[in-house]
This record gives sequence, C-alpha cells and structure tokens, in this order.
Amino acid sequence: MSQKTVAVVVGSIRKESFNRQFAEALVKQFPAELKAQFIRIDDLPLYNQDDDGNPAPQVTRLRGEIKAADAVLFVTAEYNRSIPGVLKNAIDHASRPWGQSVWAGKPAGVVGVSVGAIGTSLAQQHLRNVLAYLDMPTLGQPEMFLQWKEGLVQDGAIGPDSKEFVQKYVDAFAAWVKKQA
Amino acid sequence: MSSPLNIAVVVGSIRKDSYNRRFAEALAKLAPEGVKFNFLRIDDLPHYDQDDDGDNAPEVRRLKAEVEAADGVLFVTPEYNRSYSGVLKNAIDQASRPYGQAKWKGKPAAIVTVSYGPLSGAMAAQHLRNVLAVLDMPTLNQPEMYIQWKDGLVDEQGNVGPASKDFAQNFVDTFVAWVRRFKH
Repeated sequence: MSQKTVAVVVGSIRKESFNRQFAEALVKQFPAELKAQFIRIDDLPLYNQDDDGNPAPQVTRLRGEIKAADAVLFVTAEYNRSIPGVLKNAIDHASRPWGQSVWAGKPAGVVGVSVGAIGTSLAQQHLRNVLAYLDMPTLGQPEMFLQWKEGLVQDGAIGPDSKEFVQKYVDAFAAWVKKQA
Repeated sequence: MSSPLNIAVVVGSIRKDSYNRRFAEALAKLAPEGVKFNFLRIDDLPHYDQDDDGDNAPEVRRLKAEVEAADGVLFVTPEYNRSYSGVLKNAIDQASRPYGQAKWKGKPAAIVTVSYGPLSGAMAAQHLRNVLAVLDMPTLNQPEMYIQWKDGLVDEQGNVGPASKDFAQNFVDTFVAWVRRFKH
C-alpha cells in the first residue's frame, strides 16, 4: 500500500489561527495511507506576472511541493465573505506561468472554520469556483462548514463532539484521493 | 460648479505593463474637471495577518488613510483563475480590519475588469461584487465594464482608443454621478 501525500494549505497565517489548529487536529485522524504536509504560504511575495521567468525561491518551493503532492486539502478562513487574499495569492502563484499550473488534476478537499455561524460557507463557494477552473476534482460531500467553539480542538485533537463527523470527512476524502490517483 | 471629488483607484495587477493599469490610467484621463483619480499602491503591502491588527505596517496605515480620504473607489482587476487576483483581495482584507473598522464601508464603488480573453474578467467581477456587498459599498450596476484587451484599446498617448472612447466616457460620467450621489 503506497502512502499518498496530502498538501495542506491553510488560508490564515496568524500564529493561533483557528484553521491551523483545526487542520493540525484533523490530520491526526488521517488513515495510514495519507500523509499530511503543511504548505508554507506566509513568506510568498505578492504575485507579479513580471516575475514568471524568475520566481522567488519561496515560489519555486511552493510549486515543487504541490507538484509532488498527490492531493490538496484547503483549510480556509473567510474574510469578507470570500477567501483570504493570502490564500488566493498562493493559488495564483502555483497556477502560473499560464499553462504550467501545478494544481491541475490534483484531487482536493475544502474545509474551513470561522467564529461565525455560517462557518466559511461563502468563502468555500468562491474557492470551489476557482478549483473548478484549475481542474481539481473536488470532494462534494460531506461539506465542512465549522464554527469555532470551545472544545472543537482539545489538546491538539478534535474534541469528542466533532470527532465522528471529522472522521467521516477524512474517510470520504481518503476514498476520493484514492479514486483519483 | 461641482465640488471636487477624490476617487481612489485600486488596480489588481502589479506588473509594470499591466493592461489593467494602462486602461485605468486612460480612464482617469476622461475624468471631468475637479475629479481626481488617486492610484493606490498595493504591491508593497504585507500579507494580511490578524496578529498585526494592533500594530499595522506603515504601508497598511497609508492604504487605510487613502481609502478613508476617498469619496469613491474604482476597482480595476484582472481575472486570475476565474476570480479576482490574490494581490487585490489582500489589499481589500487589509483595509477591512480590524473587525468593525473597515475603511471601505459606505464608499460608492465601481468595478472594471480587463483581460485578453473573451470573458473579459466577468467572473472576477462577480466574485468582487460579493465582497463589496459585505463591505457595504454601494456598487454601480450599469454600465458593466468587462473589457477585452485589444490593440488600440489604449493608444500610444495613453488615451482610450476611438473604438471604445464613447463607451468609456459614459462609464466615467455615470460613475462620477454615482459617487456624487453619496457625497454630502
């Protein structure tokens, strides 16, 4: 059984990010055939087409990591009813130069956490539009629109109230990745 | 005699010869007297990080002050991957925080998209409209400005070319009237 690498891209870069805490807890529930690799995006420059021929080392690193991954899990915050600029910037970088996108064909999952009740649903809708264009087969169900609450993550693991739901998601995602590979 | 207006222009592509920038600069030349188009710099902003909310970089403070001082905002964006550019969204995010202190609120806005494909950035504009709605920016509906870049769209002197001039002038006039509607 070969292990698949899942690139995990977290759309918030603050230190105590709820999305990062959630993502780190979620990947602990990955089955043995999935391995998580967290992708750094906070040190990328702003995308500038003039740099296409001479990308910064951080951009080359990002592209290499996505290229090497078997799948991508996006864990996004919602800013102003859409995805964070920070996340879109990373997506833009690895999609260029035109025709050399490293996202194409990678199976993807989209989840997100916010303090509000709608739980990043609108950000995820925008992100799904973008992933469709990037030709990334994206898991439809179960959806994961999570509201951050005390106990969602406990001691670095998913808390008891959400554990089963998260496991169901992870299992569906693992099956999805397997199907696309 | 109309009072002067200060319109902030935010261009979503930061490359030097950006079609969006060239078109935006050509649009600015069609502004009636007393209406100033002030191009905001966004290429030197840091990534938005909530940890910096209490201690903004000088570039972020500059952006916020410029938006605050504006009577209206014109967004001119390319389409990247069927949405607006990350660079533009980062600038929007920066001036929208900390929570409850968005500088965009209430500013009348319009969206222009330029791309070389036939869809002309329309899908980027749709995503951006969703965002401007939550920012409570009254956004001009018509005329829509989805522009396909073609030779001659902007002439060598940096003016809107003859084929698009009337259309562009009508847009600028309509937008300026829109902004005036909210100026008290």
